[in-house]
Amino acid sequence: MSDSGELLIEARDVHRWYGEGEARVEVLRGVDLLVQRGEYVAIVGASGSGKSTLLSILGCLDRPGQGTYRLGGRDVLSLRDDHISEVRLREIGFVFQSFQLIPQLSTLENVEVPLFYAGVPRRERHARAKAALERVGLGHRLSHRPTQLSGGEQQRSAIARALVHDPPLLLADEPTGNLDSETGKAILALIDEIHAEGRTILLITHDLAVAKHAPRLVTIKDGEIVLDQSTRGI
Amino acid sequence: MVVHFLELAGLALRNLRGYLLRSLLTTLGVVFGIASVVTMMALGRGAEDEILREIDKLGITNVILNSVKPPASKSANETRNWVSSYGLTFNDQIQIEETVPGILHALPVHSYTERAWEGSRKEDVLVKGVTPDYFVATKTGIARGRGISADDERERRPVAVVHQQLVRSLGHYGDPLGFTLRVGDQLYEVVGVLEDEEFRGLMRKALSAPARAENEVLVPYSTVLTRIGTRSYTRASGSFQATDIELNQIIVEVEQQGHVVPVAHMLRTLLEKLHEERDYELIVPIELLEQRRRYAAVFNVVLLLIAGISLLVGGIGIANIMLATVTERTREIGIRRAIGAKRHHVMIQFLLETVILSLAGGVLGVALGQAGVAAMEWWTGWEAKFTLDVALWALLVSCGVGILSGLFPAWRASHLDPIQALRYE
Repeated sequence: MSDSGELLIEARDVHRWYGEGEARVEVLRGVDLLVQRGEYVAIVGASGSGKSTLLSILGCLDRPGQGTYRLGGRDVLSLRDDHISEVRLREIGFVFQSFQLIPQLSTLENVEVPLFYAGVPRRERHARAKAALERVGLGHRLSHRPTQLSGGEQQRSAIARALVHDPPLLLADEPTGNLDSETGKAILALIDEIHAEGRTILLITHDLAVAKHAPRLVTIKDGEIVLDQSTRGI
Repeated sequence: MVVHFLELAGLALRNLRGYLLRSLLTTLGVVFGIASVVTMMALGRGAEDEILREIDKLGITNVILNSVKPPASKSANETRNWVSSYGLTFNDQIQIEETVPGILHALPVHSYTERAWEGSRKEDVLVKGVTPDYFVATKTGIARGRGISADDERERRPVAVVHQQLVRSLGHYGDPLGFTLRVGDQLYEVVGVLEDEEFRGLMRKALSAPARAENEVLVPYSTVLTRIGTRSYTRASGSFQATDIELNQIIVEVEQQGHVVPVAHMLRTLLEKLHEERDYELIVPIELLEQRRRYAAVFNVVLLLIAGISLLVGGIGIANIMLATVTERTREIGIRRAIGAKRHHVMIQFLLETVILSLAGGVLGVALGQAGVAAMEWWTGWEAKFTLDVALWALLVSCGVGILSGLFPAWRASHLDPIQALRYE
């Protein structure tokens, strides 16, 4: 997973627009992004800069209007919907700003969801989900409902869910956006640890202080990448 | 990649249990639809069974001829004397027996009403003079003793076969066999006890049984004719009226079931020639059966229509609530899709919910229908028959309703755009 030099993300000339004709709004205007396995990249931009749309495309939730996108060497744009679901299931773990836990399920069951769709048998699912929750420090909160957890705990559960099926790529969309600064720091520290384990991380934020956790910083503005630099010098 | 079907069903069940009251209300349409259909089916089948049994009792290979009073306007006989004379004649019976092919025999029945008495107790009875073959042809069962024998008939013995109930109501609680029955000025020795059975509707009318079936006295045909004759007197509004009916009934037994309809046709033609007036009626049980079957078919079509409409309404109810549920759970759907659920996973999840919901409605409906059947039986005394195949069909149909009503909501759920679904508040 950490073979540096091997490309995980290869997006070229990605365009995305909404509407047609007069009403056409360009959100992404030819983005090129290459990310190697094991990298930790932060994408920063103001709201409306197109960073969320870029993340949707990289996360295979959306398709670009024009351009190519390869994930792990595979041209995902040519895949049918079912296969794209499969790619999301196998290759990507999502962490969202608003946690996106299913309120009817317990913490453990939430973490089990990806394994459920991967067809992992019940007993193994329980064991792996439990291990993932213990890994993020929530071993004592297994049967709680998301509403019974604090924001930080919810985000930890979401991270456990994103990692439980061991995907190579973690996409985090403003993971600290709904948290106070202390809790946010703890979550970022957790993400750092995950990176240290060799996973590729793509973090989206509008907050430069958060973005500085990543060794590589990509700045996006008006749908174009304006800066792509190492944070070591900043 | 295998997602266990059973686990999806478990998930659906959990979601339904989470909103128990709502689920119950949603499926109420199906519950009542199925319940009413099950009840009506059971009642319909009960009625059909009863009719079949009655028709079978009349004898599927029989044609029954009854004497009936002709319409008053056409009764020209009044001019002759004060005796009104009509109905089937001895000649009819002889003609039938000798000229109509394919029949086993034409059994004559002569009956009259009289009062049986014992001390101060009185009962109005219908005395039927019958031949020995009558018992077989009409499937009249003998509980104890014997029926009318050929010797009784030949020797014109004063013997009778009765219901035990009649002897009881005359105040004799001992063994009815050997009891001397007084009917008017006649004495009969009871030699046989008839099986108790319920005569109802059609059967009673066709066999012209008295209002109280147990007050039927069967005696030898020859005995009645020699002792009583064919004339009977009734007191009507102060004056006596005499009627002269030679035969009250002729039971024609046909050799083969397939010949019943042609024989009936021949009998009609024959009697039309022999009688100037319509002072007889012809009952063909096999035709009654056909008629009943046609009625039943109409009834079934109507039933199906009602069932269809009520289940359609029930299905629309489910579909409606499921659409609301899909909207309500948009975010959950978005999360599941983002995590890697395929469209058909989401589709199956929602379809299973509607199927389980509808199936539960079906089960409740069958139970409620059973209760309805029991209540109807108790209330009205109708006969109902609940069969397992009706229950299985009901469940199958409710399963179908679940699938149909879930298709659109499930399709909608599975085709939500994950990004928008995730942003849904």
